[in-house]
Amino acid sequence: MRTVIAFMLGLLLAGGGAQAADAVRVGSKLDSESGLLGTMILQMLEANGIPTENRIQLGPTKIVRSALLAGEIDIYPEYTGNGAFFFNIDSDPVWKNAGAGYEKVRQLDREKNNVVWLKPAPANNTWAIAVRKDVASPNGLASMEDFAKWVSGGGKAKIAASAEFVESPAALPSFQGTYGFTLKPEQILVLAGGDTAATIRAAAEGTSGVNTAMVYGTDGAISALDLVVMADTKGAQMVYEPAPTVRAAVLDKHPKIKDALEPVFASLDAGTLRTLNARISVEGQDVKQVATAYLKSKGFLK
Amino acid sequence: MIRNRVLFALAVAAVAAAAALPFLGFAPNRLLSGRPIPLSAALDPPWGLAVLPGVWLLAAPFLRPGRGVALATVGAAVLLASGLLVLAGHHAAQLASSASPAARTSFGSGFWVLEAAALLAALDGIRRLELAPAPRIAVGAGAALLLAAPLLAGQLDQLSILKEYANRRDVFADAVVRHGVIVAAALVPTLVVGVPLGVLAQRRRAVGRVVFPVLNIVQTIPSIALFGLLLAPLSALAGAWPGLGISGVGLWPAVIALTLYSLLPIVRNVAAGLDGVPAPVRQAARGMGMTPAQVFLRVDVPLALPVFLSGLRITLVQAVGLAAVAALIGAGGLGAIMFQGLFANALDLVLLGAVPVILLAVAVDGALRLAVALLGRSPA
Repeated sequence: MRTVIAFMLGLLLAGGGAQAADAVRVGSKLDSESGLLGTMILQMLEANGIPTENRIQLGPTKIVRSALLAGEIDIYPEYTGNGAFFFNIDSDPVWKNAGAGYEKVRQLDREKNNVVWLKPAPANNTWAIAVRKDVASPNGLASMEDFAKWVSGGGKAKIAASAEFVESPAALPSFQGTYGFTLKPEQILVLAGGDTAATIRAAAEGTSGVNTAMVYGTDGAISALDLVVMADTKGAQMVYEPAPTVRAAVLDKHPKIKDALEPVFASLDAGTLRTLNARISVEGQDVKQVATAYLKSKGFLK
Repeated sequence: MIRNRVLFALAVAAVAAAAALPFLGFAPNRLLSGRPIPLSAALDPPWGLAVLPGVWLLAAPFLRPGRGVALATVGAAVLLASGLLVLAGHHAAQLASSASPAARTSFGSGFWVLEAAALLAALDGIRRLELAPAPRIAVGAGAALLLAAPLLAGQLDQLSILKEYANRRDVFADAVVRHGVIVAAALVPTLVVGVPLGVLAQRRRAVGRVVFPVLNIVQTIPSIALFGLLLAPLSALAGAWPGLGISGVGLWPAVIALTLYSLLPIVRNVAAGLDGVPAPVRQAARGMGMTPAQVFLRVDVPLALPVFLSGLRITLVQAVGLAAVAALIGAGGLGAIMFQGLFANALDLVLLGAVPVILLAVAVDGALRLAVALLGRSPA
């Protein structure tokens, strides 16, 4: 039995040790925007002569974040607002301000985990409410204030959303509290799984009379499928800006990473990200081609 | 007069699906649902002739069963299954020529029912032929080749699932290999622990009374929960001894969880195989002067082998399927492609991950069934 255990340990050790020694392991979450940003990181590092290992679309947030903290991967794009949940301080109003939220998570992660947050892209990928254009235009809906007035005045909104969006105090309840409106239960269609691709599709196709959808601010499908995002003028939502998060030890070894990535992320505003995301999620283009084409058009790649 | 009820039922299902269900779906882009296209709209000559072998399958249920009819049925069914693929691919190409590059053509429910009916008809025919192992391999390989031909010839390139493949061409092969590695890596500890445990459980009843209930309980834990449960202790272990190369995500928890699931069928079939060795045979071997070790190696092992192999078959088929869920803890493999599809609401991307998993399971199943047949005994 002892030899058996020794054999198994040996086997697993051999498996764990079989990694390229020096390469920077680039990860990302499973969704297509994370895949796009991860691919851009990968391509920029390679263009700067840094050896890389592709771990793009590794798993959901919990897995990718634990992988970074465990040293399984070295860099991946994360959203500033998620700091609220990493450090269990989601009631802190700091997350509703882009600059302050970034500073907070940058400091905490550097002190507690030795993880560096590079400068985020000026694109807020937070929860938002989008309405079909053929409903928004005649009713003059452009902001959440318009939407609240319309709903309170008997406007026939019906929203498709995930269970999390409907129940999480930070999501729909925060919108309702901030803008003073209430959606009745029959005005809410909860979609199982509830990713925004499904909710946008429901609104675009009018499934079960749905004309409004839960979306993320940089979803590519929003304009492609003729929806209008209601502007969150009073800041009811936390700010989620994507930024590269990298282990400090790796950044010290390859200081070029910072200069290679920050101009790229600075160029990615919400409109740009929406356009790029639409090419992937709606038109079905290859993530790598979309990333390369963009980086070349901006002169980041030759 | 219906002579073959299985074929008759399949023919009825196929005709109903062809008439009532959409053969293809045509969507303006990857996100929106498709407009249904019935089989009749795709049947323009000359490619429409691809469904002609179906005529034989409509007649075959009424013919007197025999080897000739069975052989013709296998041939017609495989040709139809391949022809349906060609027809779908060709119609997709036709639709693509006059649409935007973002437009997508996907298989409809009608296609799946027809394809499944054709493949089941082929399996029914092969069963009726009652072939020896060697000709069975030949027929299986021929059928696989005919089905793969339209794919290899690029006939299907305009279908949505292959557009998804084209976007992931350079990671797809890695994902398949990775999937195999996860299963293989779990198989080694499973055999190293499971076989001795099975022998022990059969010899000492007290061991069996503890081992089987425990393994049964493990089997009832949902796979996602087991992967999640392993995350915390493994991460703690990794934190305590960083030098070991352990981590809470990736290959480690996947291999451990798959091993835990795989132990039950292996241990049970090793014990059952040894139970099935008749006591008089053992006594005769002892009487011939064999030592206990010789009795085990030359009597018990050969006689228990077929039962053990069918346990191995169940284990491997189960592991191929479960390994897909391991993508959620970062182990990669074909499951990663499936989950990307689920996240993007892209059903064809889900299929791109799921279809190879099914083919892998079918291949493993066929190979081990063949091994059992070659041993000249039927599994218990």
